[in-house]
Amino acid sequence: MQRWLGDIIRRNEARLLEYRRMGRAFRRDVLAVASLIVIIAFALGAIFAPWLTPYPEQGEGEPNLSEKFSPPSPEHPFGTDNLGRDVLARVLYGGRSSLSIGLMVVVIAVAIGTPLGALAGYFGGWVDELIMRVTDMFLAFPPLLLAIAIASALGNSFTNAMLAIAITWWPWYTRLVRAQTLSLREREFVAAARGMGVRTPTIIARHILPNVMTPVLVQATSDIGSAILTGAAMSFIGLGVRPPTADWGAMVSTGRVYFLGQPWFAAFPGLAIFLVTLAFNLLGDGIRDVADPQTRRSVQ
Amino acid sequence: MFGKYGRVTGLVAMLALMVAASIPVGGQAAAQAENVFVYVMDSTIPELDPSIDFSNEVVVMTNVYEPLVWYNPPGSEELVSPGLATSWDVSDDGMTWTFHLREGVTFHDGTPLTAEAVKQSIERTIEMGQGASFIWWPVEEINAVDDLTVEFKLSYPAPLDLIASSAYGAWIFSPQAAENGTEWFNEGHDGGTGPYMIQSRERGQNLVLTRYEDYWGGWEEGQFDTVVFLIVEDPLVRQQMIEAGEADFTLRLPLENVETLDDNPDVNVVIFQSYQNLLGFFNTRKPPLDDVRVRQALSYAYPYDQLINDVMMGYAVQAHGPVPTGMWGHSDDLPQYTYDLDRARELLAEAGYPDGGFELVWTYNTGNLDEEQAGEIYRASLAELGIELTLQPMTWEAQWDWALSDPENAQDIFVMYWWPTYVTPYDFLFNMFHSEEEPLFNLGYYNNPDFDELIDQADALTGTDRERAEELFIQAQEMLIEDAPALFLYDEMNIHYLRSDITGYVPNPAYANVVFVYQLRR
Repeated sequence: MQRWLGDIIRRNEARLLEYRRMGRAFRRDVLAVASLIVIIAFALGAIFAPWLTPYPEQGEGEPNLSEKFSPPSPEHPFGTDNLGRDVLARVLYGGRSSLSIGLMVVVIAVAIGTPLGALAGYFGGWVDELIMRVTDMFLAFPPLLLAIAIASALGNSFTNAMLAIAITWWPWYTRLVRAQTLSLREREFVAAARGMGVRTPTIIARHILPNVMTPVLVQATSDIGSAILTGAAMSFIGLGVRPPTADWGAMVSTGRVYFLGQPWFAAFPGLAIFLVTLAFNLLGDGIRDVADPQTRRSVQ
Repeated sequence: MFGKYGRVTGLVAMLALMVAASIPVGGQAAAQAENVFVYVMDSTIPELDPSIDFSNEVVVMTNVYEPLVWYNPPGSEELVSPGLATSWDVSDDGMTWTFHLREGVTFHDGTPLTAEAVKQSIERTIEMGQGASFIWWPVEEINAVDDLTVEFKLSYPAPLDLIASSAYGAWIFSPQAAENGTEWFNEGHDGGTGPYMIQSRERGQNLVLTRYEDYWGGWEEGQFDTVVFLIVEDPLVRQQMIEAGEADFTLRLPLENVETLDDNPDVNVVIFQSYQNLLGFFNTRKPPLDDVRVRQALSYAYPYDQLINDVMMGYAVQAHGPVPTGMWGHSDDLPQYTYDLDRARELLAEAGYPDGGFELVWTYNTGNLDEEQAGEIYRASLAELGIELTLQPMTWEAQWDWALSDPENAQDIFVMYWWPTYVTPYDFLFNMFHSEEEPLFNLGYYNNPDFDELIDQADALTGTDRERAEELFIQAQEMLIEDAPALFLYDEMNIHYLRSDITGYVPNPAYANVVFVYQLRR
């Protein structure tokens, strides 16, 4: 037992040291830490929404017309909406759909894009050609337009909106991973593995993929923000979640009509979109900086 | 007609932004020239061919073209008054109508109005078979008796005076101009007799009218020289424009802001009953809604007061059946369903659903807030009966396609607005509730031969015995309300916003949102 653990530690010593260095660097990055806190706060708010608000039924969509458009007050810190629902409760519940759209889109896009990129980069030749031309096809369309087309073809629901956005997103990961793989493939440790007769799938899984994960992670983190924005845009034009499910984009869409008289209805969900998107972008920047000290130094 | 709120895509929203960005320029130009009337609208002007137009173009067409007769605003003694015809008579059997034309009228291309031109106009519309051409179905033959007398022979009795006053498909235009074809019209030309001529048009952005000096009605000091229609999608931009005086007229602002605008001394808010109503068809072919008791129960389960007072802010009245308040053929004595959950529970229990336990889908037009909120309050009410209502926003086309596909698998509740092509109860009752072999607008698939017979009979009498026809139409509605093939939600009020220095505005719900600029002065 002791020996086994020691083996692992020894074998991974370099990596552990590297992680520790990254941890220290990250903690020094005030913006990144603040972003992480904001994101965690929103995530906790979404998860524990039913316990955080006195009006969980309104968060889920129950109208409360007697309090239609109450301005912000101690009872309703963010005011109430066009059906009298507490805007704070709606923003907390809206985080559920917005954050999960952001996360799921990126997870799906990475899951499709990364293996394809590794295949294209590692094999080259016609495999590369085929995969790259397919990504070109997807990239030829403006992403929001393609997502709108897919979502309107599939019929609007939360899942379809998510799929539609993910479908427009994966080619970016394919390109990123392919470029990384192209250079990794020529490195000595890969050549050595090949020379020792390691099978190709194992080389890709053990030697290529772990080494491309850092740029993918950086990219994915900033993309969550953009995916949330796209999700909000889809809901804004009525192709995202179905009412009465709360969604930040849908709330801004409805609330903007009342913006002159009842600004709180659109402003708070808008602020939530703004904060979360910004936080994910800053977090992505932070991760890039610590993962790759070179760029950081060159930037400074 | 339908689909008025069918503005959906992000493209349109982007266009609106672009237009909004260009507005200050247009507005200032308008403010500098003295005699310009600026109408700021929320939707595009799709079609300018007078044989085809069947949508929001009506606000332009009514200032450029004239029909044989106009439908009067509510409160007038007669239903219709002279347009291009000064008088008309009908034979006792209602099969022959003769119209006597106004003298000294010329089209904008300078040719005179003749009986032959009237005949050719209407025949072109019939032959093209598009837009609202169906209004002329009863017409078998049109004869130019002499230069200023037109005779219509019908194949069955029909109210040709009302038909000729239609807001769509009844324009009289210069046959020479029409030879240029539809595309010529859509480039921004016209062939009308009205007080204004189309000067220019930028698709999706604006349309400019200029006065026709030889208009038969003549011109007085103070009338407008130019009319500008600007398309601005964003209601808040429209509101700012009317407040700043960049618009002389606008509509469809948030109901929550009506009072604020009413307090503004520069803005005159005109509120009146429209001929448009909102209803939700029950799918009468699909269980459990094929059971009349379930449909009645669901009609009792609608919180009408909340809808009228809280969602519509009091700018609507609960419907009494499908014919809207203020229109002939409407009766306030018809029964209404009231919000009564106990009665709904009883009826559900009788039908075998004591605890609800079924799901329904409510489809409505994406982005239409009124339809959406109407669904949200219904959802909450049905939940108390153990019925789950899913709200499904769709584009008009998708919603309609689904309803037309297979009734047994279609949506349960189809929400839509209706307003008449020409003002007759038959327009509402026939289109939405007369049995159809292939569904078109009878989207609850209601099928009742007794009802069909009654309204067909009433329609045949409309031209000759309007009082009797009205009685039959009301009787038919009683039948409908009992059978509950639809939720009769509300009859909408129109709210129009004018600059307060504009005088002479008389709203006329027969021509939706139309401003007859010739009647106005500043």
